[in-house]
Amino acid sequence: MAGIYIYSDKGPLAAELVGFAKTTGKAVNIVTFDQNSAASAAEYGADKVYLLAGDSLLVENNARAAAKFLMNEEAELFLVGSTPRGRDIAARIAGYLQCAMVSDVSSIVINDGQVSTERMIYGGAVIQSEMIDGMAVLTIPPGKFEAASGTAEIATVNINADSRVSLITTAPIVKKGVDISAADKIVCIGLGMEKKQDMQIAQDLAQVLGAEISCTRGIAEERQWLPQYIGISGETVKPSLYLSMGVSGQVQHVVGMREAQIIVGIDINDKAPIFDAADYGIVGDMFEIVPLLIQEIKNI
Amino acid sequence: MGKVIACYKWVPDEADIKINSDHTIDLSKAKWKISDYDKNAIEAAVQAAQVLEGKAVSLTFGGANAKSSLKDALSRGPDEACWINSDLASEADGFVTATVLAAAVRKMEDVSLVICAEGASDTYARQITPRLGAELDWPVITSVSNISINGNTIRAERQLDDCIQTVEAELPAVISVLPEVNDAPLPSLKAVIAASKKPVTELGDKDLGITDLTSKTRVQSQKAYVMIRKNIIFTEGDALDQVKELVGNLKKEGIL
Repeated sequence: MAGIYIYSDKGPLAAELVGFAKTTGKAVNIVTFDQNSAASAAEYGADKVYLLAGDSLLVENNARAAAKFLMNEEAELFLVGSTPRGRDIAARIAGYLQCAMVSDVSSIVINDGQVSTERMIYGGAVIQSEMIDGMAVLTIPPGKFEAASGTAEIATVNINADSRVSLITTAPIVKKGVDISAADKIVCIGLGMEKKQDMQIAQDLAQVLGAEISCTRGIAEERQWLPQYIGISGETVKPSLYLSMGVSGQVQHVVGMREAQIIVGIDINDKAPIFDAADYGIVGDMFEIVPLLIQEIKNI
Repeated sequence: MGKVIACYKWVPDEADIKINSDHTIDLSKAKWKISDYDKNAIEAAVQAAQVLEGKAVSLTFGGANAKSSLKDALSRGPDEACWINSDLASEADGFVTATVLAAAVRKMEDVSLVICAEGASDTYARQITPRLGAELDWPVITSVSNISINGNTIRAERQLDDCIQTVEAELPAVISVLPEVNDAPLPSLKAVIAASKKPVTELGDKDLGITDLTSKTRVQSQKAYVMIRKNIIFTEGDALDQVKELVGNLKKEGIL
């Protein structure tokens, strides 16, 4: 049946997409590819959950069959959680359907069957608005919509998965360092810090603040002082406090931290773009400012 | 032995984007470059072609200015270059780009492997590899951080968000590589000189026999992202006064 179809390999994200889809007044269906996901998805508030039962261990191998299913059902919109698997299967389905697709949308408006979207391009510096008529596949990152809940029936449809790519092994990811994407406060160092031993003052500040330490791409990739960095191709963080030392504030970095509640910049260069991105700033030598700051915080 | 194709995009350098006062963007002063991660795709194709004892071919879909990219691409090691020269490229969406690239791959014949990067540094939509695979109806492997080829079988390591998968497929296939798949070296002077002697095939979109090349999405506007922040810089008094002001404000915000 017509309506909106949803897929995510991350259950909570599928529930968020249902939360959005329900606001359109259209029928909301979740597509799943295994029994466990179908059972969880049946609690996400959709009208119906489809279990497309193939026999592949790789979700992406269901793309061709799922495209056929969506076409037969006359789906109006296919919303997919933006994760590596989600992006892959979404674009493969768009390819088989030869239909529109917009990746990583930050907003969606549906009006008279027309879909308008916004997404970031040029590393987050620019917002591009697009308009689509007809069937569209959209990928959506987590955190954009409130999750829905409520019970739905599960309908099983047998499909033939593509067997040309086979899974040989699965290994866990070895995480390096702390997970800064979940940190509540972050002290961030940039290339304005010249010597590795100077990281000590950042550590001292982080300690009094109860913050984690992170850095810009240059510190992680060129100097290799820390494993992870904040930025367009690195981590995205949403702390209550982001405080930078010697970070110039290039847009590629700012994209990764601009959802912080409060941004503080400390840098020697008063023209540094970090001050345009900051709530509070001090222009000065970090080796003068930061020890004073540590002392003032201790005095609270 | 089959060809290995590396797809790349000729893009404006995002560092050169100027923002006008009305928040529109100005690319007129921008230098153009091979999209950063595509350099890794080209290197991966050169390495795979050596294993397969076939030719590495660079493939791009771009307008007239993409001509400047051909020598740059060839200096990175491919044996030949193919350029789909079309004004449609500047407004192409994922549908149009994948359709054009798939037609070019079909036209080349005897292709074993197509390698792309995950996404381009301008749009970073990450659609082309799966869409191209679907257009060709070939097996697709994305997020690849390691490749090994044995006979007609490709084995690839995929870096996903929650695990690392090792998968296998028979060639021909379409894959997308992550930047960590290799260190794309800077071309040597010798390679730059040799590049000008390598063969280039130039085709128009009309030469590909495609009937429908209308984008499915229409771009309405491109506007600079505007960050709304307090932008309070403490300049009064000495460093200690400024630090006290900062701490006072952070306390008021409920941060400290």
